[in-house]
Amino acid sequence: MTLPSLPARLDGRTLALETRAVHVTYAGGTAALAGLDLQVPEGAVYVLAGPNGAGKSTAIKVLLDLVRPRQGTAHVCGVEVARKPALARAHVGYVPEKAEISLGWLDAARYLRHHAAFFDAWDWDYARALCARLNVPLEPRVGTLSKGGLRALMLVTALAHRPPVLLLDEPADGLDPLARETLAALLVEHMAEWPTTVLWSTHHVHEADRLADHVGLLLGGRLVLQAERGALDAALRRYRIQAPPGWAGAPSLNGEVLLREGSGPDLAWTVWGDEREVAGRITASGATVRDAARLSLEDAALAVLRAGSRP
Amino acid sequence: MLIRIELSDPRPIYQQIVDEVRRGIVLGTALPEDPLPSVRALAAELRVNPNTVAQAYRELERAGVIYTRRGQGTFIATPTGPSERDLLLDDVVDRAIRDARRFGIEPHELAEAILRAAGAGSLSSSPSFPSGDR
Repeated sequence: MTLPSLPARLDGRTLALETRAVHVTYAGGTAALAGLDLQVPEGAVYVLAGPNGAGKSTAIKVLLDLVRPRQGTAHVCGVEVARKPALARAHVGYVPEKAEISLGWLDAARYLRHHAAFFDAWDWDYARALCARLNVPLEPRVGTLSKGGLRALMLVTALAHRPPVLLLDEPADGLDPLARETLAALLVEHMAEWPTTVLWSTHHVHEADRLADHVGLLLGGRLVLQAERGALDAALRRYRIQAPPGWAGAPSLNGEVLLREGSGPDLAWTVWGDEREVAGRITASGATVRDAARLSLEDAALAVLRAGSRP
Repeated sequence: MLIRIELSDPRPIYQQIVDEVRRGIVLGTALPEDPLPSVRALAAELRVNPNTVAQAYRELERAGVIYTRRGQGTFIATPTGPSERDLLLDDVVDRAIRDARRFGIEPHELAEAILRAAGAGSLSSSPSFPSGDR
């Protein structure tokens, strides 16, 4: 990997979710997680992004004790997951990536009753209201629901007991655009009403752009960046550069540029660092900086992930 | 007052909310003592993180644009210091200059073009026009 040094720790904060040096190796020797230090502060909406196979779902499963790490520990609200898995899970509402259902012969109402029995805090009024908002039909067997219908049902089971932590693994997958809107609205209203920490795994980062206040970017089972949104917004810029003929680049920025786009005199460089300093170095090399623009969350994630996956 | 945000806008969301409130004050759609929506209500309406709205309100409060009355909510403050209109003008100018620079247009050319478009003649003889250092 050819990444410049990016922040990867959120030390000094009260963490709702944490993994320490977690290694997971699947049968056949494939390393799914290679020293994951996930740190999700209390009250955060933490977007976990990365390409397929980077370890997003595995990380979430470790927090639920659905996957046991070969090495390292995981904590949920201060509870060590491997020691007290049931207590840890009681803190969590979970929407799994694969909307498979083991009790497909139950109708949705009975499916929800089955789930409700696990949680003291289950709120039936809220569950019914969520079903109405998400258009979850209560009569058909859950095994016959569409992908979107099943996903919506999972969301109801995750939210209706108002857990302090939500683990959402591609929650919008399979939802139509209208239902995605509703999902975002539901999450905001939920968070505004009850303090909740959200870990949201997705490869459609733009879906979480309005909500995310923390970002973790996963590559090859490790976080290549973990930061507050404000830190990302402050330090990552796309510089529009007008280069003079025969410009040799900015040697003092070698190794610091995440992404180089454009050719000839019109270039765009994505760089992590203090804007004045970076612009100063480009100017000192003889080029003109036309603009330094903040990146959308999606573009920021792509720039870092592309830089990190370069051979 | 209508608060709108755009994800494609280069400003962070909290900044857009701050600017929207300021814009309301300049346009007169938000008057001193007018109540603002609660953090919860505005977050739900805009579909943004409640913490982001809280951050915008903190910023506005620090700048003396709004104030909180405990238990009653948040209100537009009576203005002191430089007017919101001047501050907003500074912002607009700053953004226009940045935008123009991206296309290699210098501030004095931009100013001339603006005046031409507004049908008000030329500024080219004015030596005191800001050079827009960045």
